[in-house]
Amino acid sequence: MKKNYILLIILFVLSLGCIIFTYNDHFLYQTPIMRVTSIESKNITEDKYEEPLYVQTIKGTIMNGEYKGKTYETINSYTKSLVMDDKLTKGSEVFVELSNDGSDLLGIHGVKRDKYLVILIVIFIDLIIIIAGRKGFKTLLSLIVNLGITAGSIILFMNNYTKMNLLLLYFIVSIIYIVVSLFITNGKSKKTLAAILSSITSLLITFGLSFILIKINESNLYIWNIDYIEAVYDYNNYLYVCVLLCGLGAIMDISITISSALNELIEKDKKIKKDALIKSGKEISKDIVGTMINVMLFTCYTSVIPTIVIATKNKIPFTNAMDFYGGLELMIVLCNCIGIVLTIPISLFISIWILNKKKEVMKK
Amino acid sequence: MNKILLIILFILLLLVGKKRGIKTFITFIICFALIGLYIILMRFGFNAIILAFITCILASIISLFFLNGLSPKTLAAFFGVLIVQIITFILIAIISVRANIGPFGEESLETIAGYNLNINYNMMNVVIGVYLVSIVGTVIDTSISVASAMNEVKENNPKLKEKELFKSGMNVGGDILSTTINTLFFALVSVFIGFFMWHRGMSFEQVINYKLFVYEVVELLIAFIGSVIIIPVSALISSKMLTNKKSDILVDKIRTTIKSAFGD
Repeated sequence: MKKNYILLIILFVLSLGCIIFTYNDHFLYQTPIMRVTSIESKNITEDKYEEPLYVQTIKGTIMNGEYKGKTYETINSYTKSLVMDDKLTKGSEVFVELSNDGSDLLGIHGVKRDKYLVILIVIFIDLIIIIAGRKGFKTLLSLIVNLGITAGSIILFMNNYTKMNLLLLYFIVSIIYIVVSLFITNGKSKKTLAAILSSITSLLITFGLSFILIKINESNLYIWNIDYIEAVYDYNNYLYVCVLLCGLGAIMDISITISSALNELIEKDKKIKKDALIKSGKEISKDIVGTMINVMLFTCYTSVIPTIVIATKNKIPFTNAMDFYGGLELMIVLCNCIGIVLTIPISLFISIWILNKKKEVMKK
Repeated sequence: MNKILLIILFILLLLVGKKRGIKTFITFIICFALIGLYIILMRFGFNAIILAFITCILASIISLFFLNGLSPKTLAAFFGVLIVQIITFILIAIISVRANIGPFGEESLETIAGYNLNINYNMMNVVIGVYLVSIVGTVIDTSISVASAMNEVKENNPKLKEKELFKSGMNVGGDILSTTINTLFFALVSVFIGFFMWHRGMSFEQVINYKLFVYEVVELLIAFIGSVIIIPVSALISSKMLTNKKSDILVDKIRTTIKSAFGD
C-alpha cells in the first residue's frame, strides 16, 4: 500500500513538472512568442443589424529569442461568431512576426496551444493509471504502440505517396494493429488467437461488403467533403481507408468480448454443449451491439456538425445540408455498424471452433 | 445509398437480435434524429451548449431506459453519465476557450466557400457542444457496462457490502477500458492521414500549435478522459444504489409517474 502512495506522488510530481515545463518552453521555439500583458476590446460595428465586430488593442512582451523582454503594441480583430478568428485574453500567448531589425511587429500567426494539449494528455495518463492501475498501464502501452504504428505508416506514405497504394498499405497496417493490440492487452492464449482470427475475418468481410456497395454508388458520392481529401493523391482509396479504420476498434472490441466470454464459459464447465455456447454468446452480444452502434454514430458523425451549422445559417435547407455534408460520414458510420453486427456471428463461429479444439487437445 | 445501408443494417440486426435487434435499430434512428434536431435548433439560434446537454440527456434516456429497461442499474448508469458530462464540460470549456480551438482553417475554405462566415452565432459554443455530444455515446457505453456487471455480481452474492461491490465495479471498468480506448482511437484516427498529407512541410512545433490539429487531438483526448472518469463515477453510484433499498422504491415511483402521465 505504501509503495502505491510513493508511486502516486512520483506520478503527481512528474505531471506537474510537465505542465510547468510547457508553460515555460518558449526557449525551444524559433518563432518569437508574445505574451499579452494588457488588452482592450472595442465594438466597432456601426450598423446595429450587422454582426458585431471587435477590435482588440494588445500590449505584450516577447518571451524568447533576440528581442526577449521587448514590448510591442498591435491589434487583433474578431467577430462574434468566431468562425475563423481568435479572441485573445490577458495572458494569451501568440506567435508573432517581427521585422528584421526588431522595430516593428508585422503580424500575429496563431496562438500557442501546446500547453493545453500537454494538460489534457497529463490528465488522461494520471487518471488512467490512478483508476485502472496495472490494466491502465497496459492500455497506455497498447495506445502508444498503436500511435507508433500510425505515425510510421503515415511517414511511410508521405514519403512514397506517388508509388504506394494507400488502401493496400492500410490493409496491412490494420492487420498489424489487430495482432499487436490484442496481444498486448490479452497476452498469448487461445482466446487471443480466436479474437485475432475473428477480427481479421470480420474486417475482410465487412470491408468487402462496403467496398462493393460503395463501388456501385460511386458516381453519386461527393467525396470532396471528406476532410483534407484534396491533399491525398489517392482520392478514392482515402475514402475506403476511412471506412476501413473507423470500425476497426469496434470490431476488435466485439471479437475479444465474445471470445473471452466463451472461454470463461468453457473453463467453468468443460462439458458445455455447442448450442449452449452459441446461445449465451448471442445473449452477450445483444447487450453490447446496441451501445456500440451508438458509440460509432456519436463519435464519428458529430464531426460534420460545424459545417452543417454554417450551411444552415446561410439559409441552405436543412435536409440538403445534412445530405450534402453529412451523407458520406453517415455512410461510413453505417458501413461500420453493419460490420459490427456481422462480427457477432463470425466471432461466435471462429471462437467456438478454436476454443473447442483446445478441449480436444487436452483430452489427448 | 444510405437507405440501402440502413435496410441492410435493419435486416442484420433483426437476424442477430430478434426483438432486441429491432429495439437497437429504433434507438439508432432516434439518436440520429436527435443529432438532426440538435442542428435544426442551433439554426434557430438557441444556445449550442444548453442544446448539447439536452441532446445528451435525451440520448442517454433512450439508449439506457428504452434499450435496457428501467431498473436501479440503468438509473445508476444514467446518473453517472450526467455527472461525467458536467465534469467534462467544465474541462472542455476551459481548454477550448483558452486555446482558441476551432473546426475551420484554411483547409476548410473550399468546403465552406461562398458562405458568409459571419453567422452571428458563437462558433466556440458549437465546438464545446459538439465535443459534449461526441463523447456521450462512449460514456453511456462504459457506464451501462460497469453498472450491468455490478448488478450481476450483486445478484450472485446478495450479501456483498458497498465497498466490495465498488471494488468489483472498478475491476470490470479496468477490463473494458482497453477496448473502449481502442475503439475511440480507430474511430478518429483516419483524419490524421489527411492532415499530415496536407501539411507535409510542417515542422513539429507548428503542428502541435496548429488550430485544426489541436481541435482533432482534443476531441480524441476528451473522449478518452470521459471514458476513464465514468468508471469510478458509475461504480460509486451503482454500489450505493444497488445496495440501497430506496433505489427500488425510486424506480417504482418513476414508473408510476410515467404511467400516470402517458396512460400506459
